Amino acid sequence: MLKHILVTDSTLRDGNHAVAHQLSASQIASYAAAADKAGVPIVEVGHGNGLGASSMQVGLSLEDDQTMLETARKHLSKSKLGIHVIPGFATIKRDLIKALDIGVDVVRVASHCTEADITQRHLGFVRERGKEAYGVLMMSHMASASILLEEAQKMELYGAEGIIIMDSAGAYLPSDVAEKITTLVNGLKVPVGFHAHNNLGMAIANSIVAIESGAKLLDATARGFGAGAGNAQIEVLVAVLEKTGFITGIDFYGILDASDLAEKEVMPVVPSIKSESIVSGLSGVFSGFAKHVTRISKEYGVDQRDVYRELGKRKVVGGQEDLIIEVVMDLVRNRK
Amino acid sequence: MINETMQKLVREDCRISCTEPEVFSILRNQEILMTGGTGFMGKWIAEMIAYLNETQQLNIQLHLLGRDVERFKNEVPHLASMSYIHVFEQDVRNLHDLSNKINYIIHAAGTPDNREHVSQPIRTVETFYRGTQCVLDAATRVPDLKKIVHISSHQVYGSNEQEQSLKEDFNGKLDLVNVYTESKRITEVLCSVYRNQFRLPIVILRPFALIGPYHDLEKPWAINNFIRDGILGGPIRILGNGATVRSYLYSSDMAYWILKTLVIGKTGAAYNLGSSEAITLADLATKVKKLLGSDVEILSKSSKENYVNSSKLVPNITKITKEIGVNETHSLEESIKKTIVWNQLIRK
Repeated sequence: MLKHILVTDSTLRDGNHAVAHQLSASQIASYAAAADKAGVPIVEVGHGNGLGASSMQVGLSLEDDQTMLETARKHLSKSKLGIHVIPGFATIKRDLIKALDIGVDVVRVASHCTEADITQRHLGFVRERGKEAYGVLMMSHMASASILLEEAQKMELYGAEGIIIMDSAGAYLPSDVAEKITTLVNGLKVPVGFHAHNNLGMAIANSIVAIESGAKLLDATARGFGAGAGNAQIEVLVAVLEKTGFITGIDFYGILDASDLAEKEVMPVVPSIKSESIVSGLSGVFSGFAKHVTRISKEYGVDQRDVYRELGKRKVVGGQEDLIIEVVMDLVRNRK
Repeated sequence: MINETMQKLVREDCRISCTEPEVFSILRNQEILMTGGTGFMGKWIAEMIAYLNETQQLNIQLHLLGRDVERFKNEVPHLASMSYIHVFEQDVRNLHDLSNKINYIIHAAGTPDNREHVSQPIRTVETFYRGTQCVLDAATRVPDLKKIVHISSHQVYGSNEQEQSLKEDFNGKLDLVNVYTESKRITEVLCSVYRNQFRLPIVILRPFALIGPYHDLEKPWAINNFIRDGILGGPIRILGNGATVRSYLYSSDMAYWILKTLVIGKTGAAYNLGSSEAITLADLATKVKKLLGSDVEILSKSSKENYVNSSKLVPNITKITKEIGVNETHSLEESIKKTIVWNQLIRK
């Protein structure tokens, strides 16, 4: 029997990391329309860190949440509109209610991999409103398989209809993915998913290992447009999935066209695995830090590879962007 | 807010479930204390006492202890305002003394909501263990105490995939990391110890899944979520194994069974409290859809394709039906239908 894989296209959310959250409404409009035409099941849109995250701390987005979501909504007819929500950045009253009223269909509530407790109210609220709710465990390489399972089970009880683990640092090797996905599939009732980053060139391979281990949900982006070295490349993923006998419901030529359009109209530079991305992946640092690390390292004349190594040692997580400057200043002091 | 129509529906449910009201004459002018009294179970006990007081002129005084009295007063003002219902804010973990006038205790403190168990595991253990010990300690000092019903849980049996229905002597699989299961087990041990050492007249009830008015549809249980999803227009989502088997006792039957056990339950005995009408979650979703009378979609989402075994949590109720003399007065279909109507009214 052919197995169906639910693909979420995060180009217009994770890709926002790659351009310091500067995606414009017209870029969102044109890519959303192309993804919709290709039959992408879920199109995720927003600031790289999700709803309500535009801030001095993690970066101000060019467009506000309302503009991004209304624009995408207008250009999606078949595809569902998805958002990434980290409680704390996004509050129910200020952000989530408004987003659901705009017409968001799918809400993926995320937390650091050991902090699922913070997702209870948001997941519950989304289910109360009758929308699709998923739980997302970010920086999942920082927790063992058994801890991930405990956290995922909390999200399942809170109402998540599926649990996605994110390789936010692009740190996983296929054996890591197999161990963690297998543990989750065996221990959870709801479907399991995987969100890859490509720092070590493993995004597609890891995604395939994830589904071979029982995952049913995968994330990907056009040309891999995303934080750091980027994500699993959606057009490649669709091709590989088709070749290996999985169904995505996505039209192959359609997604090739959407990716070509994205390269031309959405991304200033196609993601590649730069030297610092490899160090970032090896150090297990959140890919969303890339822009900040590059900028601050350049400003103070330090080697960004050293910055990544130090950030990795300190086990810094998403939301602790302010520690980048601290690490850079320490390196400057030690240099003297 | 509960309107007049809803009050009438609940009163009618009490009438249907209360098949032998004369049994309760022994409760005339008696005082009942219920811990965990402001939740689903407490509201139904209050409804049933109200029914008995009004139809049998029993003058039962009901003292409800809970942690959120204001919420109770806002949700069910018609109960909170009754002269024979007394509501007190009290965390059972800090309970020391009870009124000397108390004659009966229903100990139902602690939520069965497993979201709370995983989010607050230490508080869960404390509420069940320390809370039960506080209640039982206080009970030893009450001079005219006639009976205590301890509300345990079917979770004490652990998991089951083989038996079609579980008898009270079933020994399930041990799961030491399940906070709720182990907490409920230790409360039963406490009951046994206090019965033995202090001769407290304790009876244990082990509820299985329940459904009916006052049951919050946001609770993380399949039937609640199916009904909520259906009322919202769908899709109804079956999460996990659709072959999982459960059964659901209607709320007014639950209240009647608890009160009847309080009156005639045998000290030292444990009884299952639940429905014997088993159903798979897949069939349950279809039933909810049919009873809603709308064309909602049913989706199945699961981590696995094929399950070798399926969880079965259905009580064998021979003991309680024989010894306590109770019967289910609401079929599953009626229970679902009434729950749908109630929740549609509450959303208006």
